[in-house]
Amino acid sequence: MKVPAKRSVKAIPALLILLFAGLGTTDAGWIRQTKLGDRFLRRPARVQRFERPALRRGPRYAADRVLVRFKPGVADAYAEGLLRSYGFSSIRLIPRIGVYSVRTSPGASVAETLAMLRRNGDIEQARPDYRARLADTPNDEFFARYQYNLRNLGGILDIGPGFQFPMTAGADIKAALAWDAALGDPEVVIAILDSGVDRTHPDLAAKVVSPGRDIANDDDDATDDHWHGTHVAGIAAADSNNTEGISGVARNCKILPVKVMDADGNGLYSWIIDGIIWATDQGADVINLSLGGDFDDPFLEEACKYAFDRGVVVVAAAGNDYGGPVVYPAAYDDYVLAVAASDFNDQAADFSSSGPQVDVAAPGVYILGPAPQWYVGKGNLPYVFASGTSQAAPHVSGMAALIRSLKPELEPADIMKIIRYTADDVNASADRGRDDHIGYGRINMGRALVPYILK
Amino acid sequence: MTMRSGGARRLISLGIALAFLAARATAAEPKVKTFMAGLDFDHFARTIVWDGDTGSSALRANLVSARADLGFGKGLTLSLSAGLSLTGFDGLAFGTLPITLEYDASPMKGLVLGAGLEARLLNSGHFEIKAAGRFVSSFGMSKTWPLEGFSVEGEAKGRTNWMEASAGPRLAYILSDAFVPYLEVSVRWLRADFRMEETLDDLDGLETKRINGDLFYSVALGGDARVSGRLTLKAKAGFVPRAGGADSLASVGLLYAF
Repeated sequence: MKVPAKRSVKAIPALLILLFAGLGTTDAGWIRQTKLGDRFLRRPARVQRFERPALRRGPRYAADRVLVRFKPGVADAYAEGLLRSYGFSSIRLIPRIGVYSVRTSPGASVAETLAMLRRNGDIEQARPDYRARLADTPNDEFFARYQYNLRNLGGILDIGPGFQFPMTAGADIKAALAWDAALGDPEVVIAILDSGVDRTHPDLAAKVVSPGRDIANDDDDATDDHWHGTHVAGIAAADSNNTEGISGVARNCKILPVKVMDADGNGLYSWIIDGIIWATDQGADVINLSLGGDFDDPFLEEACKYAFDRGVVVVAAAGNDYGGPVVYPAAYDDYVLAVAASDFNDQAADFSSSGPQVDVAAPGVYILGPAPQWYVGKGNLPYVFASGTSQAAPHVSGMAALIRSLKPELEPADIMKIIRYTADDVNASADRGRDDHIGYGRINMGRALVPYILK
Repeated sequence: MTMRSGGARRLISLGIALAFLAARATAAEPKVKTFMAGLDFDHFARTIVWDGDTGSSALRANLVSARADLGFGKGLTLSLSAGLSLTGFDGLAFGTLPITLEYDASPMKGLVLGAGLEARLLNSGHFEIKAAGRFVSSFGMSKTWPLEGFSVEGEAKGRTNWMEASAGPRLAYILSDAFVPYLEVSVRWLRADFRMEETLDDLDGLETKRINGDLFYSVALGGDARVSGRLTLKAKAGFVPRAGGADSLASVGLLYAF
């Protein structure tokens, strides 16, 4: 296809080097794990591994049981006699609180039974016997203490001397809730277009589907010679429930590494374009681009459209220039989800770019992720904290992969809308509705993936 | 416990036989001999697996209808009914919509029309064997729920229709003029659909749940009791066996003879 001369001229700036480390991580934002001393020394797992056979939620209460409490003053003998008169096959008194666990009559629904019981003037309360489940959070070593981004219980984020931050409970992406509905399909692949991925990392080795493609060096080994790509890949889909390290957002989905940045964290638009098309042709379901450049380029946009038209959800970092515009390719609004960064208090990060193209925000401040062993140094655990919209984007990529896992028939545009419309408008008090800082809000995986109950 | 093709053929054959008996009776003696009218309450529950689903959910229907029974003599009775239905769908999930919806709402309302036919086949002493068939169809009214908690406006709109046909022999024991108990075994055919639309701003989806002509068996005990010279109480209760349990059915009607 012949390219018009004007476009070719316009494409020249695109060959400028992308200072992607500057985009991907703020200077003050990331801390090398080596500074944390023995805090990260390996410890035995404290949490038992729980297996989950099912992805979807089952019924919320038992189909053949209800709980009943009589009004004060109703004698036990009378209460039991009354319950037997309803024909219940089994009646058991839970002592101390005077609640009867009752097995309903055959053929009668819980709703019917409750309606019948509630009409009786001697009965104070009649309720369904709700199902509980094991507290099924992943047993990864750092999940509970450091991954506020996935489940934030409040308290202090303590990552070392001088780096202690009070957190707001609930300022997270509701991952633990969403995992109740979907852990991810291993067939769903997230392509990480970045500096490569450390395939030997214990939290990634089982998740990487192939050596990938190194477009920066034109070979078939996308091993990370920086650290950024490994970190981003881990946030999106690190191995979970393996008692070590962290949990990824898309716990069962796979990673396809595509190296489009060199060892210094620099890359060319042509490498990114190549990478997008290669990953699409390899069958990736989601493409994560924790990178960007300042220049609009029709070829880069066309590559994003190529992926979008073939069913790929493209997610990109909005940029780390506070007050500055959204970078490319995140700014290609029709084809790419632009992700801003929020923090452990659901505040917009003070480095996050803004603009009308921002779709959503995700945690991007002091996010713990894997790093190559050579990067952190021998004797240290291969994990680092990092901040940036680079860290925010893979949360959204992981979420997109889980939606694709649960609803494979949805088009990318639908998945993008689900991610936008289920977000929490966390700055509603100052700026109600969609705004240029956090878009529709901080993503809420629970709202997107857990069934909505029609009452 | 369901069955498709063979059972369907038997049900259709039975229906044709009933229609033939009715036609023969009306042809021989076209005049209506008796006329009764009153109110009916019907309930049935059915555990069903919607087409394409892996898990089961419950369909529970309660019907209140006005009923008229036309007696043509020789044990042939045609009944017609019209009324309202309330149909519940505990545990039904619409999983292919953009946001999965789970039904935990009050029952859906509908208009119900029904027709039934009873024809005497054999009469021996105190025993009588009849063929009984009934067809009921519920035309659901649409219901809308606002979808709350999203960053855009949204709503879900549902509508359900179902129809059930049943036919089978009824063995009655004529205890007295005032009370006739009976045992009824029926083949029951159920077809239902539930159409759910979801809209969140410019994101929308449509999912239609269907169960298309599954067959069940039911066993019921009932009785017709003459309460007074003109009032008759008709009651029936039974069960529909299925894998792992049974579903219920019941009906009660009070009819006045004119």
